[in-house]
Formats: sequence, C-alpha cells, structure tokens
Amino acid sequence: MTRVTSLNQRYAACAALVKAGIQIFAVGDPAGARFSAVVRRLVALDREDGGSYLDDLVGASKALNWRRITQPQPLEFNLGLREAVDEVTMQSARLRGAIADQELLDDLAAAAALLASNTSPLSSELLSAIEEVGARSCIVIAASKQAAAGLDSWLRQHKVPVVTAGELEGGHLQREQAYVVGPPRIYRHSLVTAPVTAEVSFLLPAWFRDRKVPRSPIAAYAEWAIQVEARVFTLGDTAEPVPDLADAEDEGRYLPQPVWGTRRSEEREPTAEEVNARKLLLSSNLAMWLDDGERIRSLDPRRARGERVTTTEVAAVREGTYLLLREGVTERAVLYQAALARLGPRAEAMTAAQTAWKRVLGQHLQRLGNRQVVKALRAVGISAADQARAWTDPSLIRPQSDQDFDRLLQWLDIPSQPTFGYATTLRTTLYEVSAEIGKQLEAAVADADLSELETVGHLGLAVDADGFRGILATRVLAISPFSEIVSRHEARVPFEDRGGMWLE
Amino acid sequence: MTAPTAAPGGLLLAAAVEAAGETASWIGPLLVLGSRVARYSRRAGERQLVIVVSVPVRDYAAALIGCGWVLASEAPVLKEPLETLRGMQPGQFLRAVNSQDIITGTFDSLNEVVQPPQVQFAGSRWKVDAIRAIAPLPGIGGYERAPRPVPGSIERMARLDVDWDRRLARPAADLAIVGTLTRLKEDLEASLTRANDCAPPSVIQSILMPKSSRSATWFTRVYASASLADSLPIARDVVGVILDGNSAVKYLTEIEAPVVVCVLDRSVADETAAEMVVQLRNTRGELVRLESELGWRPPVGVEALGFTVPL
Repeated sequence: MTRVTSLNQRYAACAALVKAGIQIFAVGDPAGARFSAVVRRLVALDREDGGSYLDDLVGASKALNWRRITQPQPLEFNLGLREAVDEVTMQSARLRGAIADQELLDDLAAAAALLASNTSPLSSELLSAIEEVGARSCIVIAASKQAAAGLDSWLRQHKVPVVTAGELEGGHLQREQAYVVGPPRIYRHSLVTAPVTAEVSFLLPAWFRDRKVPRSPIAAYAEWAIQVEARVFTLGDTAEPVPDLADAEDEGRYLPQPVWGTRRSEEREPTAEEVNARKLLLSSNLAMWLDDGERIRSLDPRRARGERVTTTEVAAVREGTYLLLREGVTERAVLYQAALARLGPRAEAMTAAQTAWKRVLGQHLQRLGNRQVVKALRAVGISAADQARAWTDPSLIRPQSDQDFDRLLQWLDIPSQPTFGYATTLRTTLYEVSAEIGKQLEAAVADADLSELETVGHLGLAVDADGFRGILATRVLAISPFSEIVSRHEARVPFEDRGGMWLE
Repeated sequence: MTAPTAAPGGLLLAAAVEAAGETASWIGPLLVLGSRVARYSRRAGERQLVIVVSVPVRDYAAALIGCGWVLASEAPVLKEPLETLRGMQPGQFLRAVNSQDIITGTFDSLNEVVQPPQVQFAGSRWKVDAIRAIAPLPGIGGYERAPRPVPGSIERMARLDVDWDRRLARPAADLAIVGTLTRLKEDLEASLTRANDCAPPSVIQSILMPKSSRSATWFTRVYASASLADSLPIARDVVGVILDGNSAVKYLTEIEAPVVVCVLDRSVADETAAEMVVQLRNTRGELVRLESELGWRPPVGVEALGFTVPL
C-alpha cells in the first residue's frame, strides 16, 4: 500500500466517523458498580481528611477500579485484577484501627473480594461484538501495555489482535472496526479525530458515567471542528444504583490518572542554562524531565534480535516507549566518564585542557553576561554561539563544528593546539564508547526475558561496563501534557517519583 | 495570474512518479489554501496572518499548501534579455534561462558588433537571441548550471507555462517550509497531475523547487525544525512560512513573516504545539474567518482556524 493510499484511508475513516459517530456500549457490571461506589466514599474521606495516610489505600483502590475497566477478561486470564484485589485487601487490613470509619474498610474489602470472584460482564459483550463482525475485521485497543498484555492472553485464542493506541499508529493493520476497552476520556483524542479504522466502538462498565468524546485542542476555536458524536447503548444488568455524575465532577479522580497540576513556569523563553522539558512518569517509580534535544537511547522489544537497542527522536517518545536509563545520571555524563577511563594516563592532560578553556569561557560569561558573550561569538562567525553556556558543561565536550571550535579558542585567546586535538580525541573516544555500550546493551537485551518487560514495565539489564551497571529498561507510563522550564542539569536525569506507582 | 481552482477529485496524487495517481477530496482544498494565503499576503497589513490546520496525519499537507502558494505567485516583470544586458556592469551576478539550461554566473561583456549579439558570462560565450529570460541577481555568487525543467500538468493548470522562463530566471522565492527533512523529502517525491491530462505529471519537488547549496534556481527555502533555532531569524524576503508538524509549530512565535500556516498532526500525542497556538490566538489574536475572508473551506477531516497577531 502506498503512502497516498494509507493516507487516503485515514481521511476516509475520519470522514466516516464524523458522519456516523462512534458507538459506546455501556455494560452493566453490578460487582464493579458496588466497588466503585465504595471507592467514591473513600476518595471523599481522603479529601476531607487531607492527610497522606490513606494514599496507598486510595492508590490501590483506584488501580483496582482501573483494572476492572481496562482488563475485563475472564478471571482465569486476569492475574492483574487478582493482584490489585490482594493489594486493596492488604492495604485496608493495614489501616484497621487507624481510621474511625471501619465500616468503609469492611465494605471496601468485601467489594474487592466480589470482583475477584466475578468476571466482568464486559468480556462476554466484547466477545459477542467480535464474533458479530468477525475476528479478521476487527482490532481491540487497550488503554496500556499492561492491559494489552492481559487482554491478549485471553483474546489470542480468538485470533483478534490487541494493541495500544500508540501501537495502532505504527502498525499497518487493515481492519474496519476497532473495539476500544474503556471510556473515551482515558484515550488520546486521535483515536476518534484521526482514526485508523472506519468504525470505532468503546466498551465500558455502565457505572462509569463520563462518556464524553475527546476533541482536539483546537476544536473549540476551529471553523469546521471535528465533532464526533456518540451513540450510547446500555446492555446487561444495570440494576445496581450508580450515583449521578454532577456536572462539575471529574470522574477521573476515581481513576489512577497521573496528577500533573497546572503549568508552573511563566510564559518566557528558557535561558541558556535552562531547557523546556516535559515530565515523563516511568515504570519502577521513576520520573524524568525530557527536553526537546538529541535523540534518547531506547529499547524496542518488537524489533528483531540485534536491532532492539536504538535511539528515538524526542517527539516520537510516547506512552509505552521503553527508555534505557540509570537513576541519578544522564547517559552523556556516564559516557564521558567511560571515555576518560578508556584514555588512561592521557586523560589527565586532556581533562586539564578541557577544564582550562571551559573555565575561561565561564569567566567571560560571568563578567559579560550570556547575551554579550553570544553576541561577541556571533560577531567572530561562530554559528552555534547560542550554546556558549552549554559548552561550559564538561560532558558537552566541544562545539560540534570544527570552525566554531577553532574560532572559539581564538576568541578565548587559547592556542588551538593541543586543546583542539585533545577535545577531538576525547569526542571520538566518547563516540566509540557509546557504540560499544550500544553493543553491550544489545547483548544484554538478547539474554533478557523481554516478556517480563512487557508485563512488569521495567527490567534491569546485566551490562558489564563502568557506569552502566544497573541500567534499566523502563516504560514511559505518562507524559505531561505541557512543558516546564527546568535547569539544563536536571534534564534527562531520572529521579525517584511515586507519581506513576498506581498507574499500571 | 490565474490561481488554481481545482475541483475536488480533479487532482491525482501519487507517492512517486512511476506510481498510479489517486484522487482524494483533500488534495485540491489543501492546494487552494496555499494559493488563497499567497493572495492574502499581497494585501496583508501590519498584522501577521496565522492559519492553523489540523490534519489526521501530516503527510503531504505542507507540500500541497506550498505548491498552492508557488502556483499563485506573481510572474516577475523582466525586460527583454538584450535590454537587460545593455544595462549591466561587468561583475554583475545574473541568472539566465535558455531552452536547455538555467545558468548563474557573473556578467563579463556584451558584443553587439556581431549578429546576433553575443554575451560573455559565467565564463562562456552565448548568443543573446537564444536566451529566453535573464535577470540580474543581488550580491555575488558562483557558477551553477541545471537543466531547465519543463512545466508539468499542474504548472500548466495554473498557467505558469505562459511566463515559465521569466519565473525560472527570477522566481518569487518567498516561501519557506519548516519540518522534518526526511519526511518532507518523501513528500517532495510525490507527483501531482490533473485527471485525464496529457501533460506529464508534476513532481512536487519541481513545483516547490527547494533551495539547496548548488541550485541554479529555487522557489522555496526548506529548514529542518530540529535545527531551526540556529537559522533564525528567517530571511526577510520570505513572505510565507509553513510550519509542518508539531515540532515545527512550536517555533510559531519566533517567525516574523507576514503569513504563517501551521500544520498540526493529530495522530501525534504531543499537544504542546496545539495548546501554544490556542494560547496565542486567545491572548493576542484577532479572528479571521476563513470562509468569508479567505474564501476557503477545509475538506472533511481537516480542522482550521485563522487569526492575525501584531507583527
């Protein structure tokens, strides 16, 4: 299929959805309704109390709510749900005696236990929907990698592919109908505004009341905005009372959605010491600020052996991308240290020369200010003059262009040699080290159990190179919808953050 | 100048020249958008026009809008070659077009003693009556020579063939496209043609004629969004800038050209660019109604909004 054909199909699918709308199947789930009602009480109590002692119970309960929605497969295929039930049971037992409302804890444990013994009615509705159109014509979309793995363990026997919304984008599956598990609001708008299939149906438990269809950010202001209507069909046993959804109430608060707050940075350009970066929540309780700069080392388990370790453009990093990281340091800093180690006794003279010119540059910056320095550097024909401040960073070895570097040294009144030669050798060594690390990572990945990565979300890799021990492949769980201005030194340094703990 | 008035369905797009063209309802309108904004730019006032289109996937959108812009550009007014040459001083940089080639180089001398008159430039001797168009160029530059392209189906549709040689000699060259180069490259390889046209299909590359380090003539500057920061500000003679894709659109507030078209790709999860556009519109923008003021209506699957901001 040519690019034009597939693009044409994309426009056609979009037109079809605008015309016919999407379908929402709201399926009665008495056990789920009961549990979610108790979660509402718990969240209300948590808000009144304001303390943090309920955090883990609230987190575990929201996670169970989430799994009930996103992984409705039969219990025998649903290890994830059972684990979440156990977690809620354990956390509520832990709080016994600590809160006044014991009844709430009892209700929560009882409702959770009920989930562990009642398969979600969504599963049979999903299966009959699939049988109706035929397994070859449809695809099932899951809310996360973990949900996809869970659903796939069940749907594999029915020969229906299960993918995440992100994977749908990269794939070339020819399907007419997408069955999306969960409410529209937990998915990105592209699923309906730039659909891959001509028909899209969502399946959700009837107790989840928010059925709004997401729109693109410009839709509210656009002429001819894309407006996809939803037709809601209620199925099954909906006798269990469900509280009405007040207009202002955000049902997302009962789900383990990442909490981003609002943008803190003022509207301004970052200075030379700062970058615009978006926060990434990562599996294994890490987070990282990712700036819009050079490509980042990543792992693609779907690729062939020997080609899995790669680098990804920042814009292409999505939920579900696996990054290769080590807590507390940037890859650049680790590579720099490894390059020095490789150079042995020569490293000392090189470090001294590097320190010397960077110090002089730093002094100029301090004395004249960044703006004046950039202006002066530009005047002597240095094209990347804007990076003046960044060049004081030891791990950014030298300006990319030979001409820039030569002119910079001249401007700093430093003889070109041996500094120029040292820096260039150091850079070449760094590239070599980087390539070798890539190979070692590739070997470590080849030996690793990648199915564990897919289900757990992160995996330590056994790499025997200085600074790379303890490197971790970790899944991007969520990406902040806005960027913040952060210090250049903070960018790309993974740090501990429990924000993603209950996300999967 | 006749701007393209393609009826939807009347144009065929193919991923490569040898591939079969396919018709689609969005091809014509995107092309027409480029022409409409090009026309608008000629009567633009003190404010910058910003048009934002969101498409299902970015493919071809910026390239088609760019083609529309080039097709609507005005033909330059040039004197007859002999007359131009008579006024030239040695060392003047120029571009000449004959039936075979486009040549740039420096003017040396004109000899009217022989018949037909001969001119010495770019290190060679040429018959003046074989030169179809010639234009003095500002500054100094080197010798470049490239085969003269032949106008294809789309250039003919827009009647560019009428003054083709003059356009090659002195193109408007007032358009810039900012985007991911590898993706733009794929777009440029596509070909566009009118249904049932006996003229050869137009390759998008030859309609846009992107500037490269050694091009003899060019219509469009292409910038990589990854390194745009190093190229700012964009040359002052650029009138229209197309920001192709979310990473390019992030530069919107840094562009000072009178007209900017932003192409947002809805299939990409990153909303930063879209939110930035909305914020600009809400804080500094004055609404422009596309249908009544620009005479343009997006095809199904495309969202669009227009506004102006102070320059």
